[in-house]
Amino acid sequence: MDGYLITILSNIGMVSFVALSAYILLLSGQISFGQQAYFGIGAYVAGIATVMWQWPLAGALLFGSLAAGAAAGLVGLATLRLSGIYFAMATLAFAEIMRIAAELFVYRRDIGGIESGPDGVDGFRDIRYFFANEFSPLETCLIVYALLATVLAILCIIERTRAGRMLRQIGEDPLLAEVHGINVMSVRMIAALAAGAVAGLGGGLYAHLMTYVEPKSFDIMLGVHALAYGLIGGLGTAFGPILGVLIDIGLLESTRIFHGYRMIVFGGLVAVLLIVRPRGLLDEVAVSRIRRALRRRRDAGD
Amino acid sequence: MLELANLSKHFGGVRAVDSLNLKIEPGQIFGLIGPNGSGKSTTVNLITGLLDVTHGSITLAGEEITRLPTHVRLSSGIARTFQNIRLFGQLTVWQNLWVAENARAQRERTNFFSRWMGGDRGARARITRALEFSGLADKADELAANLAFGEQRRLELARALAAEPKLLLLDEPAAGMNPEEIGALDDRIRQIRDSGITVLLIEHHMELIMAIADRIAVLNFGQKIAEGTPAEVQAHPAVREAYLGTAG
Ligand SMILES: Nc1ncnc2c1ncn2[C@@H]1O[C@H](COP(=O)(O)OP(=O)(O)OP(=O)(O)O)[C@@H](O)[C@H]1O
Ligand SMILES: [Mg+2]
Repeated sequence: MDGYLITILSNIGMVSFVALSAYILLLSGQISFGQQAYFGIGAYVAGIATVMWQWPLAGALLFGSLAAGAAAGLVGLATLRLSGIYFAMATLAFAEIMRIAAELFVYRRDIGGIESGPDGVDGFRDIRYFFANEFSPLETCLIVYALLATVLAILCIIERTRAGRMLRQIGEDPLLAEVHGINVMSVRMIAALAAGAVAGLGGGLYAHLMTYVEPKSFDIMLGVHALAYGLIGGLGTAFGPILGVLIDIGLLESTRIFHGYRMIVFGGLVAVLLIVRPRGLLDEVAVSRIRRALRRRRDAGD
Repeated sequence: MLELANLSKHFGGVRAVDSLNLKIEPGQIFGLIGPNGSGKSTTVNLITGLLDVTHGSITLAGEEITRLPTHVRLSSGIARTFQNIRLFGQLTVWQNLWVAENARAQRERTNFFSRWMGGDRGARARITRALEFSGLADKADELAANLAFGEQRRLELARALAAEPKLLLLDEPAAGMNPEEIGALDDRIRQIRDSGITVLLIEHHMELIMAIADRIAVLNFGQKIAEGTPAEVQAHPAVREAYLGTAG
């Protein structure tokens, strides 16, 4: 497969994690502008684990994901009582604080004769795990998709459980959910932890595929895109945000059809969809229609 | 069943509910009436925990629930409808009932798996029964938002019932209904009482409430100005004054 295509596919895969992260919170009815922070935390922590502590990749990714989840939990304690615009602003503020903290973060050590580690504004270079272990781009791409498929499968299963339905009920009317015996705060807390962990996993992959990260990779633009992916692709299923990423990166960025106008086209697309289809292309109605059609087809096939 | 002692709710200077004492016996239909803004909905919001009590206490079946979080109160047996219909509009009729059914089940579930993963065989039968009781059996797969007004009211009632409450709070269930629908509602509320559920009914529709309430309390400016049987309340001078603005 050609290198350019693999790179694009890998990008789509990695960004999908942060899109799913924003999606989980959107389901619970909260708009976070800060999921990029957990992507960043996952990237730094996983990078430090393989480079500075010579951990194996799996352990590093898991640790990065857990660290991001824990950070999301702490931020959640402070922000989950807020709603609407206040929650959005608070999450953005926390993400900016973390980005600035990353600009100040210096942790350098001599690793095999080279000084390595996060170096403030200059970022964290030479995260060479894949290179050192002679992974091909195709192999790394497959790792991204294997993990993405796992996360997607888990989300799809959860959505069909009681917990998943509660999440949607809270998203629609938290007060009514509360009256129906749902502990809104604790369900939102679990959602925030999960969303942080998912973003952190993506961040860990990102650090190793790119081989370097810098604080400005995790600025608000990433967070805004992550939100927009769910809103474009649809909130009816976890495949919605992935569709959003495909449309943006796969179509607008990579094909160069809209070269130079990408942000305008993307912004316009978001605006139009918010008006005509406020819950995205694959919204609840579309998803239930697709499910019914699939069921009918399966029944007819028997 | 329910006892409010010295219950007050102040919004800044507004005393929406002011030292209210009420005692509702089990198995009653208890009517709560009063002019607009007299504190009826606020009382319901206090009982369900959506508003914090300024002072006073709420006791349900002998247990004080004044400071319990809202989501726990439903498990102690309180269900309600809203003055402005409140449904999960993007869920189907069936799913709306499922929510309440789920809430009922929460009471019995202690183990993590069944709590979060769900699945309950009895639920389907109970939801089907609730749909039939409310005349919504053929609408099960419709989105709640697409129902007609009267159907939405019925669904709200069905949903409150699906939680299998001990105490049902109805905030103006007849608002916006035509006489025929009100007749059906009258029957339904009596059936609910006869099935053993205590009902607190708030209504502006006097004919309905006078016909079915066992006992009525009248609020004005957050204070109880009269209480008794429908006949007693109707004859009460303070009530006439509150409603007509003249001493009767
Ligand atoms: N959240 C709130 N904040 C401030 N004031 C409030 C709030 N809720 C109610 N009030 C005030 O409390 C008083 C009682 O309101 P409430 O809604 O309980 O009246 P009600 O008896 O239900 O009236 P209606 O018959 O119109 O439904 C009113 O003066 C109202 O303006
Ligand atoms: Mg009211």
